[in-house]
Amino acid sequence: MKSDYLSDKALKGLNTIGDIMVPAGEGFPSFSELGCIEHIDTVLCHAPAEDIQDLNAFLGLLSMCPKFIVRILINTTEKARKSEGKLAPTLRLLNAALRGIVFTLYYSGKHGKEYMGQTPPDIIGFELKCVPED
Amino acid sequence: MYDAIVVGSGAAGGVLAYNLNKSGAKVLLLEAGKDFRAKTFPKTEAEASPELFYGGGIEFDKRTTMGFLRARCLGGTTIVNQALLDRFDDVAFDDWRADTGVDWFSQDGLIRDYDAVEEKLEFTYIKEKHRNKSAHKFIDGMEKTGYEWGALRRGQGNCATDQGQDCIDCLNGCKRNSKQSTLVGYIQDAEREGLEIKCDFSVEHFEDNGDTVKVYCRHSGQDKVFETKKLILSAGSFGTTQILLKAELKHRLSAVGTGFTTHPQFLMFGVFDEIIDAHKGAFQSVKSDDPRFRPRGFKLENVYAQPIGISQLSPAIGLDFHRYMMKYRHISCVEVAVRDEATGTIALNSKGRLTIQKDLTDQDKSRSQDGLSIIREVLSAAGATEVIEGDIHFGLHLMGGARMGVSADDSVVDPEFKVHGMENVMVCDSSLFPNAPGINPSLTIMAMAHKLATQLSDRKVG
Repeated sequence: MKSDYLSDKALKGLNTIGDIMVPAGEGFPSFSELGCIEHIDTVLCHAPAEDIQDLNAFLGLLSMCPKFIVRILINTTEKARKSEGKLAPTLRLLNAALRGIVFTLYYSGKHGKEYMGQTPPDIIGFELKCVPED
Repeated sequence: MYDAIVVGSGAAGGVLAYNLNKSGAKVLLLEAGKDFRAKTFPKTEAEASPELFYGGGIEFDKRTTMGFLRARCLGGTTIVNQALLDRFDDVAFDDWRADTGVDWFSQDGLIRDYDAVEEKLEFTYIKEKHRNKSAHKFIDGMEKTGYEWGALRRGQGNCATDQGQDCIDCLNGCKRNSKQSTLVGYIQDAEREGLEIKCDFSVEHFEDNGDTVKVYCRHSGQDKVFETKKLILSAGSFGTTQILLKAELKHRLSAVGTGFTTHPQFLMFGVFDEIIDAHKGAFQSVKSDDPRFRPRGFKLENVYAQPIGISQLSPAIGLDFHRYMMKYRHISCVEVAVRDEATGTIALNSKGRLTIQKDLTDQDKSRSQDGLSIIREVLSAAGATEVIEGDIHFGLHLMGGARMGVSADDSVVDPEFKVHGMENVMVCDSSLFPNAPGINPSLTIMAMAHKLATQLSDRKVG
């Protein structure tokens, strides 16, 4: 797949992060199995160019790291949600950005071309009815 | 040359533009966001966040502990809020008057304006038979623990929740023209009467030339300049303050960017054995109405969100994330909103981007803990088998940054909405709030906008 915003390396890095945050199990597909990353441009379409540049650099770097290093980093950002210290605000911001992208794509109801199973909103039984007035 | 340019189309801007246009003035309404209507609002939660909000959905304070939701679309935050429209009480206005010396800060001072807004919009209370199960759990828990509750007063027309409609969808823009946003209540009417609207126009700064004001904007990567007799900033606490800071008014008015407050909201989830479906039907219909809570500085409301919103609050990642999300339909959620101290600041960094400092004071923390302990009690009494506390709190009511007052020493705007020392530049939105009222602010912002529009019409602007 191609993105207007993220490089191939960055997409690979995002899939690695996505599978750590949202692995397969409990009846759910993993982030990469779902293929929701194909819709990344919907999430990033209004992000400032500067932020996209930083994201590309960060995800591109992670794509070259061993998975255990990426896991340590993700767990560190998760712990920062409830901790103090000089680095905590930056780690929390990173955590919010990664959760924002990964969880939004995962629960967007969208999937990749090759995925044939239920989407996560279907699995949790989420449905909405809103019929516009004529 | 316009008689008035209104910057921002939310609770204040929409009302101002409508009333000034109606009085015969030549008005331009500028909105930084896009022009969405009932038929064109984003269809899903995933599309709505980047399309309708700044920051791709959420912005954070400097410490990344508080998330702010700020709309960016025609109609502003009134498009994405829950249209909970209440008048302020004496507690709020008495504090404002004592803090600022502005004598019209009172229920009587705004009575004609409240009346006019309420005449223009539709209101409703959700009937008992149409409340969803989450609301019933909240009521059950409140009654069992001896606290008083009440129905929320909602600005809405025909939501048809009795026909199985799920009104949580309107947090992404109401597809039925039911929610009483300024788009539905004012802007569309004004548009039919000839109001000029320009969307995707971001105001960068302005230049006050004495008789007229030049307004500098960015639109599709191009610079645009407009000239007007009166400039009214109604871009909300962040937007208006950002424009004032870019105009370098901080040098002259030290109060610019100070006194930011936001009614911080803390969520708690009660997990029940049975299916609750808090997202179905009229998902927000009740609140606390206990006289003991007001002096303690908090209130409770029954709320929820769609899966993406709830997923962001997950206490874990990995398989535990899946286990948490499987509880989605079993959760009843209650929030405590705190009447916080106005100690926050809004500033610009070296790149001209907003930086928000909003640390909770000891009093704010104490109030939130007080409210959360009551929620825990209420949810447990209602039968929750597990209670989960959210670890991030939110600011949905963005207020302050350009407070109103009689003196330029400690305020930005005078009692006639004029920026101190400027005859033709005005501020009218939540940024002029001197402190947190502890009540949903939309209706009062609209009433203030009506007051200013009447004042300008009386002086025959245009």
